[in-house]
Amino acid sequence: MEKREYPRLNETVYWDELPNGLKLAIVPRKGFSKKVAYFATGMGSVHRRFQMDGKNYEAPMGVAHFLEHKLFDMPGRDISAEFAALGASVNAFTSYDMTAYYFTATEHFEQCLQLLLEMVTKPYFTEETVQKEQGIIGQEIDMNIDSPETRIFENLSKAMYVKHPVREPILGTKETIAQITPQVLYDCHRAGYNPRNMLLCVVTDTDPEQVRQVAQTYTACMEQPQVEFEDCWQEEMTCPTSFVQDRMEVARPIFQVAFKCEPFHTGAQGVYEEFVGELAAEALFGESSTLYLKLYEQGLIDPSFGGGLDSLQDYVTLNAIGDSDDPFAVRDAILEQGGRIAAEGIGEEDFLRMKRSAIGSRIRALDNFDSVCFRLCAYHFTGTDYFAFPEIYEKVRSEDVQAFIARVVTPERCTLSLIEPKEEDGL
Amino acid sequence: MIQTIQVQEGITLRCCTDTRFKTGCLTVQLVRPITVSEAAMNALLPAVLLRGSARYPDLRSITLRLDDLYGTTVGAQVRKIGDYQTTGLFCGFIDDRYTAEGEDFFASVIDFLRELLLHPLTEDGGFCKEFVESEKKNLLSAIEAQRNDKRIYAAEQLMKYMGKADTLGISRMGEPEKVAAITPQELYAHYERILRESRIELFYVGGCQPETVCRLLTPLFQKVQRCYVNLPDQTPFCDGGKTRNIQQMEVTQAKLQMGFLTDASMEDQDFAPMQVLNTVLGGMTGKLFMNIREKQSLCYDIGSVYQGCKGVLAVSAGMDCADVEKVEQSILQELEDCCRGNITPEELESAKQTLYSSLRTVHDSPGGIENYYGTSALSGLSLSIEEYMRQVQETTVEQLSALAKRLQLHSVFILKGVQ
Repeated sequence: MEKREYPRLNETVYWDELPNGLKLAIVPRKGFSKKVAYFATGMGSVHRRFQMDGKNYEAPMGVAHFLEHKLFDMPGRDISAEFAALGASVNAFTSYDMTAYYFTATEHFEQCLQLLLEMVTKPYFTEETVQKEQGIIGQEIDMNIDSPETRIFENLSKAMYVKHPVREPILGTKETIAQITPQVLYDCHRAGYNPRNMLLCVVTDTDPEQVRQVAQTYTACMEQPQVEFEDCWQEEMTCPTSFVQDRMEVARPIFQVAFKCEPFHTGAQGVYEEFVGELAAEALFGESSTLYLKLYEQGLIDPSFGGGLDSLQDYVTLNAIGDSDDPFAVRDAILEQGGRIAAEGIGEEDFLRMKRSAIGSRIRALDNFDSVCFRLCAYHFTGTDYFAFPEIYEKVRSEDVQAFIARVVTPERCTLSLIEPKEEDGL
Repeated sequence: MIQTIQVQEGITLRCCTDTRFKTGCLTVQLVRPITVSEAAMNALLPAVLLRGSARYPDLRSITLRLDDLYGTTVGAQVRKIGDYQTTGLFCGFIDDRYTAEGEDFFASVIDFLRELLLHPLTEDGGFCKEFVESEKKNLLSAIEAQRNDKRIYAAEQLMKYMGKADTLGISRMGEPEKVAAITPQELYAHYERILRESRIELFYVGGCQPETVCRLLTPLFQKVQRCYVNLPDQTPFCDGGKTRNIQQMEVTQAKLQMGFLTDASMEDQDFAPMQVLNTVLGGMTGKLFMNIREKQSLCYDIGSVYQGCKGVLAVSAGMDCADVEKVEQSILQELEDCCRGNITPEELESAKQTLYSSLRTVHDSPGGIENYYGTSALSGLSLSIEEYMRQVQETTVEQLSALAKRLQLHSVFILKGVQ
């Protein structure tokens, strides 16, 4: 096991790789009752086309999420109840580029870890259980249809991208999930839940060596097929559609405005680019920016406003979301401010302050075990070590941030997605 | 360990010195009896304070200062705890050890907080008009925006109908017409009055010793002319009659909210067993989830929450519009099972374990500590975590069955699609 120290963060991580290729990251935290484990695969909703052992597969939309639900089934057992009996709670989520299974426990950590590993590595699907899940996920899909945040983002993605699978809802649709069969799930499980494509990340006060031993024993059954996922979706940087709107039961118009950015490289270079983008978002419309103050004082935005960077393989956007009575004015003001920063740059003092705030906020987030696991996993799948962030942040130069804004914050790269209240609404 | 220090009459400092965290937190809460006439002003006040002070006269100078303080966050904190409404500020900041200033850092944070809290920007005998008007607009939007999340909206509606004769029905955010009517002068007079008269709760979690925190915080209210008015005790639920309401909206999924009432309260020995019952029924792996979602596939989200202050247990579920009655019947059936004592040893044990875990992890984050001790001190919950856990442990199926029989369906709210 490799013990890596991060003195600036007062953190230690034990990194290891098991003989089957599974990577481990163990973060010791002495003196806490809470223990968290994340078992994550780099397969998310966008990874539904792949080649495995020489054969091509294309799974229905929503398969990664469906699989996530179904891995909770074990023949004759009730996994959630078993965790609950150990005082632990288990859950999972599927994003565009990751699926993670996690539990929080205070005692019986080893047993919980065994259960988690067993659950994820031993798939069990039948016609009957798959059919039943179609009902539950159908309700989840309906719930999302009523969620303005989900709808606004899905509309935005469809408008900005021509072929990138971010256009597809993570949950799929009722029609696509109806095509899912046990065999589809077995194939996707074999492809995505390959130890080389996974990370086990643990925050605990127990002995790292013990964690390693449990991991090795309970993942020995994992197959290691040859898998190539389709993951090349590069597109033009201009947006095919600059405006999209929808109507829902909402109180005021909700907008999301986004700018298409070049995909990040992998490894440390990619993290540098990400931090450049994050600081660009701060400089442009962060809470301490001149634009935020102006828009807030004009009543064009309110505390619901927020923004940042979203990134996936071959997909990066700089975006902001909020409620506003005049979303077009907000978009235009962002474009105008982008032009100003592109021309004038960012003052050195402002830039240092922004960095200090960004590093401080990230250090504070380390108190949150789930956030630690989530970030270690997400960065791992892009080929980097999250805990190196203070050093990378410090290297970021204001000229790079200025150049990023100059390149990205332009009308051709911009799309506005709008949700308006239903017309007949007599408010 | 929480150390409680009486700073002066009506002002309490609760300190939790803990060096495990990278983050510290400090909250200042003015505690008010919640009333319709005051709720809107209490909800609005902190947002106005966060807009500008004498030294930091606008939003940008505030946020620049926050950036300087390593990304410190400061925000409005308005809670509703039984019959009380609290209004004030919370502040989250990095621990001294990770700053260049070291020990002086926390003093700078307090200094900044004092500035916002006690030296607001004023004009014409009131708060700055521009701030008040724009924050009124924001609060009104936030009230309206509650309907964007249909589950939250439905839950609020149930409370409103069920609690029409009780403080349960009073919204923490205030009524829109009350918000709209607030003037800068009226709000300022209210601010001065509640600073003078209210019970004030200060809560600190972080690496500093209680003596240091107390030394730094004591001067905070010395210049305020205090005239403390005793805070009345929490009262039991006042019943204004049962209701059943159905509202139509253009939604794909229907929402069901069922409010049950019990005469168990926060102070008595039934509080912990009631939480066990709530978890057996509507916890993460409770009967509702296991049977109505997992076995019958009728819902995606279903669960329950128990508000000890008023003895209200609210069940919420989201389902297909056509299945509302079926889900409603199933929920009653699950509760009926509890009444009959049809609770397996596994169900009971897993509910207990879930509660132990959540109680043990209270101490694992500054926010968890502040939330548990800060609210329980006001709600009348006098249980230490250890005692709470012990009472959970001793809970039996017979007790749960007896408690379930005391739960009466009081009100129902249904949000349905238009078709």
